[in-house]
Amino acid sequence: MSLLATHHSGRNPLKDRVAVAGIGSTGFSRASDRTPLANAIQAATAAVRDAGLTAADIDGIVMPGEPGGPGPNVVASALGLPRVSHFSRTAPVAMFAFADAVHAVFSGACDTALVVYPYMRLPWASRQAANDPFRQHMAVGMATVPESIANAAGYAAWASRYLAEYGVTRDAFARVAVNMRANAARNELAAIATPLTIADYYEARMIREPLGMLDMDLPVDGADAFVITTTERARDLRQPPVLVHAATTGLVAPNDEDQLPGLDHHGQHVVIDALRARSDFWIDGLDVYCPYDGFTVITAAWIENAGWCGPGEAGAFLAQHWDEASGRVLIDGRIQVNPHGGSLSEGATRGSGHLREAVVQLRGQAGVRQTPDARTALVTTGGFFFNSQGATLRADD
Amino acid sequence: MSHSAPVPDTLDDAALVAAYAPLVVDQDTAPYYRGWLARELRVARCADCGHRFLPPRPGCPVCWSRDVGAEAVTGSGTIHLCMLLHQGPPAPGVDYAAGPYPVVTVELAEQAGLRFTATVVGTPPEDLAVGQAVTLDWAERNGVPHPVFRRTPGSPA
Repeated sequence: MSLLATHHSGRNPLKDRVAVAGIGSTGFSRASDRTPLANAIQAATAAVRDAGLTAADIDGIVMPGEPGGPGPNVVASALGLPRVSHFSRTAPVAMFAFADAVHAVFSGACDTALVVYPYMRLPWASRQAANDPFRQHMAVGMATVPESIANAAGYAAWASRYLAEYGVTRDAFARVAVNMRANAARNELAAIATPLTIADYYEARMIREPLGMLDMDLPVDGADAFVITTTERARDLRQPPVLVHAATTGLVAPNDEDQLPGLDHHGQHVVIDALRARSDFWIDGLDVYCPYDGFTVITAAWIENAGWCGPGEAGAFLAQHWDEASGRVLIDGRIQVNPHGGSLSEGATRGSGHLREAVVQLRGQAGVRQTPDARTALVTTGGFFFNSQGATLRADD
Repeated sequence: MSHSAPVPDTLDDAALVAAYAPLVVDQDTAPYYRGWLARELRVARCADCGHRFLPPRPGCPVCWSRDVGAEAVTGSGTIHLCMLLHQGPPAPGVDYAAGPYPVVTVELAEQAGLRFTATVVGTPPEDLAVGQAVTLDWAERNGVPHPVFRRTPGSPA
């Protein structure tokens, strides 16, 4: 298919002017009995306290339209936020809400925004959730007929194209899955830490062939929250500021799952183009790398589209940069890929976990999984169709 | 799905909506489902620039003309995406326990990039692959015709 008709100008007036000042997370579970509101409140209060702020300091609140989750008005009320001048409810997947909060702070719509991401296992997503009487009213989001590749099925369908067009095996997908599990074992917030091998991957039950159980993210209950404010203000707060260098979403037409132009032309290409144009750094010398892994094929595509290797070469790239000792990827022996374990193993956070991990690493607070002297991060959330997104973040000078 | 006697090719709007539920039939898509009733696969076509597109929408994405109508295609094409559902949404005649249910997105012969998604009948699922040639056929569900694909006889694997 054709190349993008136009490229981003690189205009980026908000570069480094807005920062993450606080983070909070409940950690993630596959069998909790907590509501999304309970998790939202826990993560939100943790994030505000982490920043050294109180409810009176928060004048913006942004939340994704997560199925089954509360809206920003409900959470603002539950937290007793006395005066909010910017609130919005965005589409699900992390960057929609994160970028909206960044834009609101930069524009002056609010001074300090709280972004809260509650997740819950819906009845269609797990047997345990289906049997939970308190979740029966949330049976939404399921495909209505088999003869459709809308939503999640789109990734399995395009995975078939990936394998056929590039003439490769599922090895790239296998290494993505195994890497995330190995990394999750070093993250106390992760929902699963059972060791996984390449052989386990190939033996896992097929769900939507060519994708199976271990190609799909892990439905979880839990929440993440972020406090976003001006860099100037963040420098006076409790934690080291993490600067938002650039943030974007990306969309092409057509973006309907079965009409997508091709593996060489979709939302990820717009994201990469926009981020590269707006950022002072790219993958050369990058310290922290968090590509989305809601499905393994998405990660393979992000790796290729970011420029680590060519189209269809993710499997060879991951094999070349495989650290046998730890059973995971270390690019150039140094750069971890989703050190927190990603959506596949920390839990299906739709990218808020990837953003949080970048912040934790750039603060130097990642403990056993800390990348030494981490200064720059690339986070690419979302998939191919209508939620491709990304951000570059950096530590303060 | 199974073959049976032809159904009436006209239904009133309420009956059409009911017959194809849970698929969404509205003012924009009704002519296409009426095509199904007549065992004719139709795509949106711009009367001004000739561009064909799916899913049907009331304006042309290329020239922005609103003079768009439903036009029949042969339904011949090539498997572009191929997924085997080992589990999935319940539907009459679909038994995942009996074996995976194939769902393919076919690039139609009429125009590059124009694709339609349906199941494939007449070939064991494990023998299906991206790149295979298919032709259109029809099968009944809920008493009304639904499009399905079949491997084109004599085409290379």
